[in-house]
Amino acid sequence: MSRRPRPLVMVLQYVFLGFMTLFALYPIWFVIIASGRVGSRLYTLNLLGMFIPTEWSFENYQLMLSGTPYPFLTWMRNSLFVAGLTTVACLLIATSAAFAFSRFRFYGREFGLVLLLAIQAFPGVLSLVPVAQLLTAFQLYASHWGLILAYTVGNLVFTTWLMKGYFDTIPVEIEEAAMIDGCGPIQSFLLVGLPMAKPALAVTALLAFMGGWGEYVFASVLIPAPDARRTLMVGMYSLANTQSIPWGYFAAGAVMTIIPVILVYTYFQKYLVGGLTLGGVKG
Amino acid sequence: MVSWSGRRKVLTILAFIGPTILGILALNIYPIIYNVYISFTNRNQYHPNPDCSIFLTSIIEPGCWPMFRSDAGLGTPYVLQDPLLENYDSLIGKLFTGDGVLAMLRLVLVIVPLIVAGQVNKRLERQLDRQVPSYLVWLGGIALTVLLVWVLDAGGAMKTLQDGSAFFIVIFRTLLFVAITVPINYIFGLILALILNGEHIKGRTFFRSVMIIPWAASTMFIIMSLIWQFFFREQGTINQIIRAFGGEGTAWLANGNYAMAAIILVNLWFSFPFCFNIILGSLQSIPVDQYEAADVDGATYWQQLVNITLPLLRPSVLPAIVLSAIGAGGFQMFGTVWAMTAGGPSQGAGVPGATELVMVYAYKQVFQFNAYAKAGAFAVIIFAFLFIATLYSLRVTRITKGAYE
Repeated sequence: MSRRPRPLVMVLQYVFLGFMTLFALYPIWFVIIASGRVGSRLYTLNLLGMFIPTEWSFENYQLMLSGTPYPFLTWMRNSLFVAGLTTVACLLIATSAAFAFSRFRFYGREFGLVLLLAIQAFPGVLSLVPVAQLLTAFQLYASHWGLILAYTVGNLVFTTWLMKGYFDTIPVEIEEAAMIDGCGPIQSFLLVGLPMAKPALAVTALLAFMGGWGEYVFASVLIPAPDARRTLMVGMYSLANTQSIPWGYFAAGAVMTIIPVILVYTYFQKYLVGGLTLGGVKG
Repeated sequence: MVSWSGRRKVLTILAFIGPTILGILALNIYPIIYNVYISFTNRNQYHPNPDCSIFLTSIIEPGCWPMFRSDAGLGTPYVLQDPLLENYDSLIGKLFTGDGVLAMLRLVLVIVPLIVAGQVNKRLERQLDRQVPSYLVWLGGIALTVLLVWVLDAGGAMKTLQDGSAFFIVIFRTLLFVAITVPINYIFGLILALILNGEHIKGRTFFRSVMIIPWAASTMFIIMSLIWQFFFREQGTINQIIRAFGGEGTAWLANGNYAMAAIILVNLWFSFPFCFNIILGSLQSIPVDQYEAADVDGATYWQQLVNITLPLLRPSVLPAIVLSAIGAGGFQMFGTVWAMTAGGPSQGAGVPGATELVMVYAYKQVFQFNAYAKAGAFAVIIFAFLFIATLYSLRVTRITKGAYE
C-alpha cells in the first residue's frame, strides 16, 4: 500500500483521527478540569468550563489527601495491598502451572487447559454467594486476605493462558540442553524458563495488578464495611452514590487514581500489545 | 525432553499445577456445584438458612461442616423444591408451552433467508466467474426476511415471548446488545488501524499513544463509567452543548433506548483501543509483497482490502471477537451498566429495567431480592450457554496447542 491516497481521502483520515482523539481524551481531560474546580458540583453552568479550565485550585486534592471526610489514602493503600499481593500470588501460581502446561507432557494436559477456560466461563457475579459463604467459614470474609484469594483464583486462568502462550514461543531446545547438562525440571524452570519469560512476566504482572486494582463487584460484596477497609473502587463508587454527589472531590480522587495507570500503560505500551497478541487471550 | 517417569514425574507435575487445581476447585468448581444444587431448592429471602440435617445440604453448605458449625440464624431453612425443576420452570417454562414454541419457531424462520443468503454466497465465491454479485444475494435475503417479518408477525411473536418471561427479555436484550456493540467496537478499531497502518499519516506514534489512554482507564471502569454518566445527565456536557445551539436536551439515561445507546457508546470508549491494537498488530504481520503483487495486477484499494487484508486478519482477529462477545465487554457486561444506570430506567414492577442485561439481572436477583435459588437456576442456564460458547471459541482459535505439536 505504497500509493499515496488522494488529498480528499487524506483529509477524511485526519478528520477521523482527530475525532477519535477527542473522543478518547475528552473524558480524562474533563475530570482533570473538574478536579480543579471548587465546590461540590462537577459542572459549571457555562459551556466553556466544560472544555477549558476556567478556574483552578488544589483544594479538592488537599481535602482528598487529608483523610477527612473520605479516607482516600487508606482506600488507596488497601487497593495497593490487595492488588500487589494478588499479583505476586498470581505470578507464583500461574507461571509454574503455565510452564507445566507448556513443557511437560502428561495425561489430561490438553483437556485440563480447555477445562480451565470452560470453567472460567461461569459468571463471577453468580459465584459470589458461595464464595462469600466459603470465606465466611474460613473467617476470611470482610478481610483483605479473602479478597486476595478470590482475586488470585479469578485471575489464575487468564494469567496461566497468557504465560503458557509465551512459553510456547520460547524454543524448547535451550531447556533440553540444560536438562542434558543435569538440570531437573524445577531447575530448568527457575534457571532457564523464567529468565527468558521476563517480558511476559511484566505484562502478566501488570494485567493481574490492574485486575485487582480496578475490580469492583467482588470488593463491594466481600468487604462490606467499614469505610476504612474498603478498596479504592468501592470507596469512589460510594462517593458518587451519596445524595448530593461531591463531584469536585470525586474528580480529584479519580485523577489521582487514573493518571498513574495511564502513565504506566503508556510506558509499557509495546509489551502490552505484544503480550496480548501472543497469548491470544483478552485482558 | 529427557525422559523421567513414574512417581517423580507425577509429584513434579503436581508441584507445578497443584496450587492452581486447588484454587480452581475451591473458588470456581465449588461455586458451580453449589449453584446447581441451590437451583433445585427454594432458598430465598424467606428461607435463607441451610437445614444441616438434610444430607446434601450438610455437604454443600460450609456452615454445616463440623469444623465451622455455627448456629443457624433465624428464619425457616430452605428445602428442595417440590416439583424439583420449579425454579427452571418459572424462568423458562412459559417458553416451552405451545404458544411459546410457536413464537420461537416464527422468530427462527425469519432469519433463515439471511443464513441461506450467506451460504449461497459462499458457494458462489468458489466459482471462477460468478454471474450474481454478492450484494444482490444479500439484498434478496434481506427482502425475504422483511417479507417474513411481516407475514409471520415477528413483532407479535416477540410480544408473546416477552409477556411470558423476564428471562427471555433479558437474554434477547443482551444478545441484541452484543450484536450491536461488538461489531461497532471492531469496526472503529479496524478503521483506526487501517489509517494508522498507512505510511502517509504524520504523528502515528502520537495517535497510537492516545489510543492507549482509554484502554488504561478502562481497567477502572467503575470510575470512568461514573464520569461518563455525568455527561448524559440533565445538566451534563451533552445537554449543555445542545442548549448552546438553542436545542433542548433530555434526561438521556431516563429513556430506555437512549440509555442503551449511551451504554453502547461508553462501551465503545472502553473497548475500541483493545480492538485497534489487536487489529493493528495483525495488520503489521501481513507481508507487504502481497500488496505489491496486487498493485502490479492493478487492484484497487477496496479490492485489496476485501481480498487480502480482511481474509488475512481473520485468523488472529476472530478469536478476539469471540472472546469479546462472550466476555465482560459483551455478554457478561456488568460494571458499565451498573455504574451508569444500575439496570434502569424502570419499566414497571416485576419487569426488568430497560438496560438490565444478563449479569445485572442476576446481580439484582441475588443482592436486591435475595432470590438465591432462582438466580442459581439462571446461573446454570447461562453457564451452559457460556460453556458451549467458550468451547466453540477454542475451536475457532486452536490455542490449545503446546510447544511440541
